[in-house]
Amino acid sequence: MSRPEPILRLENIHKSYTGQEVLKGVSLELHRGDIKVIIGPSGSGKSTLLHCINFLVTFEQGRVWLHEQEIDPADKPRLHAYRQKVGMIFQDFNLFDHLTALDNVQIGLVRVKKIPKRQARERALSELARVGLSDHVFKYPAELSGGQKQRVSIARALAMDPEVMLLDEPTSALDPELIGEVHAVIRNLAAGGMTMALVTHEIGFASGLAKEILFMENGLILEQGTPAAILNNATLDRTREFCAKIARLHTGGREPA
Amino acid sequence: MDLSFYTQEVAPALLRGLWVSLGLILPSAVFGLAIGVLAGTLRIYGRPLWKRVAEIYGLLFRGFPLLVQLYLWYFGLPQLGIYLSPYAAAVIGFSLCSGAYHAEYIRGALRSIKQGQLQAARALGFSRTRAVVSILLPQAIRRALPGCGNELIYLIKYSSLAYMVTCIELTGEAKILASLFFKYLEVFFVVGAVYLALVSLASWGLRRLEDIVSIPGFEYVRR
Repeated sequence: MSRPEPILRLENIHKSYTGQEVLKGVSLELHRGDIKVIIGPSGSGKSTLLHCINFLVTFEQGRVWLHEQEIDPADKPRLHAYRQKVGMIFQDFNLFDHLTALDNVQIGLVRVKKIPKRQARERALSELARVGLSDHVFKYPAELSGGQKQRVSIARALAMDPEVMLLDEPTSALDPELIGEVHAVIRNLAAGGMTMALVTHEIGFASGLAKEILFMENGLILEQGTPAAILNNATLDRTREFCAKIARLHTGGREPA
Repeated sequence: MDLSFYTQEVAPALLRGLWVSLGLILPSAVFGLAIGVLAGTLRIYGRPLWKRVAEIYGLLFRGFPLLVQLYLWYFGLPQLGIYLSPYAAAVIGFSLCSGAYHAEYIRGALRSIKQGQLQAARALGFSRTRAVVSILLPQAIRRALPGCGNELIYLIKYSSLAYMVTCIELTGEAKILASLFFKYLEVFFVVGAVYLALVSLASWGLRRLEDIVSIPGFEYVRR
């Protein structure tokens, strides 16, 4: 039986920064409802991979398809349309500092999707409600906690109706106490069937969420499999060593799956 | 002291000059700011060619003394068959010179904004231009405001150079009046006080503006 076409597919991505090759031929497929969690040491290319998927950085080699339509980064209108379909969440939120939470969510709808302001506002309010921020819609980023900021950024991405969400260490800039609220939002997304690629070091959270865990090092996906297979039964010594190390940091049970 | 000299001679002449000065300052401020925002933005986010054009513009218009620029517009251009009125030459001269300085403040402010916001906007599907215009510039202009305000205050005072190209504004009227009655001390003191009043008013207005557009929780807000 052949699988249905993937939503997003990338093939053989190579990316160098000033001569240093940080991605050495990475391929990935995301099918509807897939949740792939990418783990690996810093500098392994995880974040760069997500940035490449969204063409936020240029890369030397490799191809990307959305629904079997290849994306040509030189075709700007198509690229901009593609990016709306691929929501991106950043480690340090990247909210627009001069706009309220509401306007942060609304501006893409108004300026990019050209939705009338009243409709955009309603949509933005409902997205903010979905991430539990109805009481904070008129606050500016500087008046929000880190967890609230990250939830605004998730609402902002969701408002564009993405088919895929890329989350780049969404909780690693947060206080331990605020991580839970962001995890809860991401879990809700998963429960709603959102297709996601998530880079994280929160192994407990990842194992409860992921359909598949990918271990990256030195610009390559070294090993991939179900959470159980990767976390408890990895084939490579390096994967086992890495998983044991972060498991010790995040002693189990803190994240009820 | 003869008060009638002030009411009969000084007041009408200086008032006439003041209107001309305001007529020079206000449009030059608006055009200068517009040129500055454009040139400063091109310096950072323009395509290579435009970046270069903006750089050369900044170099030329900050490099040539303003008076020399005014002479070129008014006395120089006629040699090429282009005749500008004194007023037009002054407004063009002031706007272009002012814009070159505004561009530096805008450029600095744009550079101080974290690139993450541009990335986030592009990830939402904004084109680069749209992201710069609707996300980065509103923040950069706020940050550039103290510097640009300073440039506006300079403009108020260097508008007095207009009389060198025969556009008789406040200083020009004063010069005529003073030499007519040989009362330089009195007349120029009054004129100085008028500029001081204009500058004070502008500083107050600019401070108010800074407070009005400040972002809660992000910038220091005077209460």
